[in-house]
Amino acid sequence: MSKVQLLPFTFKRFSDNRFLIVNQGGEYVFLDLDKFNRLLSGDSDVMGNSLFGFKSKHLIATDDVDLAIDLLSTKLRTRKAYLTSFTTLHMMVVTVRCNCICDYCHASSIEPEKLEFDMNWETARKTIDMIFQSPSPTIKIEFQGGEPILNWDIVKESILYAEHINRYAKRELGFVICTNLVLINQEIITFCKKHKVMLSTSLDGPKDLHDCHRKSRDGSSSYDRFKDNLELVREEGCFDGCTALLTVTRDHLTRLDEVIDHYIDMGFSGVFLRALNPYGYAATNSDNIGYSTEEFLFAFKNALNYIIELNMNGKPFIEYYTVLLLQRILTPFSTGFVDLQSPAGAGISGAIYDYSGEVYPADEARMLARMGDKTFLMGNVFSDSYEELFNGSVIQNLVYRSCVEVMPGCGTCAYQLYCGADPIRYYVETGDVVGKRPNSGFCKKNKGIIDYIFQLIDQGNEDILNLFWSWITRRSLEDVKLENC
Amino acid sequence: MEKQSFIIEIESGLYLVKFPKAFYERESIFAAAYLFRENFQIRIDSIDDHYVGVWFQTKIEQIDSDVKFALGEYCNEVLDQQVRRDLDERYGALREIIYEHAFTPLKRRKAGA
Repeated sequence: MSKVQLLPFTFKRFSDNRFLIVNQGGEYVFLDLDKFNRLLSGDSDVMGNSLFGFKSKHLIATDDVDLAIDLLSTKLRTRKAYLTSFTTLHMMVVTVRCNCICDYCHASSIEPEKLEFDMNWETARKTIDMIFQSPSPTIKIEFQGGEPILNWDIVKESILYAEHINRYAKRELGFVICTNLVLINQEIITFCKKHKVMLSTSLDGPKDLHDCHRKSRDGSSSYDRFKDNLELVREEGCFDGCTALLTVTRDHLTRLDEVIDHYIDMGFSGVFLRALNPYGYAATNSDNIGYSTEEFLFAFKNALNYIIELNMNGKPFIEYYTVLLLQRILTPFSTGFVDLQSPAGAGISGAIYDYSGEVYPADEARMLARMGDKTFLMGNVFSDSYEELFNGSVIQNLVYRSCVEVMPGCGTCAYQLYCGADPIRYYVETGDVVGKRPNSGFCKKNKGIIDYIFQLIDQGNEDILNLFWSWITRRSLEDVKLENC
Repeated sequence: MEKQSFIIEIESGLYLVKFPKAFYERESIFAAAYLFRENFQIRIDSIDDHYVGVWFQTKIEQIDSDVKFALGEYCNEVLDQQVRRDLDERYGALREIIYEHAFTPLKRRKAGA
């Protein structure tokens, strides 16, 4: 009889007779009550034939505890690899002006005439100098707004300046422009193509839905211009990276199938189903466009089922948030999604530079500042050094208080290695960055989605598991099926 | 032995659940209560040397069977929390070793070694 050492794991009761066990490296196993009790016994005789299964999943060790600890440590370190490179995502708000006035705009955009809300060249240059002080070997600069194309000259000059600096800095440098595409033209497309700039856009579904929520300030159809310009972008043939984001409003809840069909018709290979967040116009208009987390989850699950059905019928399509979570659940690798990290990615993985030179740890913090609360202001590129900004009290406090491993309600949660903390959201919800999980929409939403993904995994349907694997590995379902034959 | 419900309705909307101190630790009862604060106002107090009581006041009017189901779930949650604590006592030190081990290279780098 071998001596059994239990290794650290968390668990969740899925039903009276079904338990999900997750070890310290993020590997999971479902056990029925009998096997769970055998595991808890810590007795090899009681474990019987299950012993080897428990051992292979690193839930127990026998005479090789040191090796098991080594392996679990390596897996944990791999999962947390995003911590080693520090801030990689740098968002520049080159203007707060926007030609559209979306009813859920988190950034509270303003009229195109108010030029004083543009970033000037001095601020842009100073910001890029600051960005390149990040120790990260990878730097992604994302231009945001408002509508950044309204301040195109600064976007263009910033890209050229960053490339100039990078001739010596030698970072892996990338650019993204978050645009509604309405103002894009051939000159901009040619420039973006030449400088390998990715475009990230928003599509709210068919014309009536899109125009209803993404209104042009001049009264014209934003959808028509979006559609024409998307075609222009696609004609260049170099924008595989042009992805679209869907912000789900109450109107979308019952029409997500239709929206997904529309995405496919428009040539998109996937969709990111983003729930409303309590900032900007989304907060002020919540009576008209808002919904409960339960309503969102119901719609999300139906949409995911629909996407799975489409794939089974030969139409490849992805829901990006599900893929992100699947990567965390089914692989040991680090996925640097700043909104879902522990400690939170705010500041240490991503930072946002406002048009005025003010620096915030996350877009939500900047949005909060637009609403009059500058709690998370890290400093200003003109008056503060890199060390003062990124090692200041705001970041230290956020990091210190956003480790899910020790947060109330998260510390014992089986999903802690797949999830993360959103201290700024918690602050908005409760007035405190630690927050209160039982009432948190962020917690409910993520738990609900992860619950559903695990339910699908636990069903053991080979077709669905193959599909999930094809999403993670970005291969066709047929390829994955052939490999598993 | 007479079968008794372990959930006692004291008055309309106010319920009591008792836990023997010999089996359940304070932390387990608190951790589980934290998860139920959305629907109940909760008070935890010692009843006597042997029992701790958890009083639940419903925040909104609910039918009795729903409340009793929710409080049954609370009892299961306390049980799960206690199992987690028992496990933590057995392997908690290992978890710290794993975290320490996982981040040692970073610490060395920080120290300039």
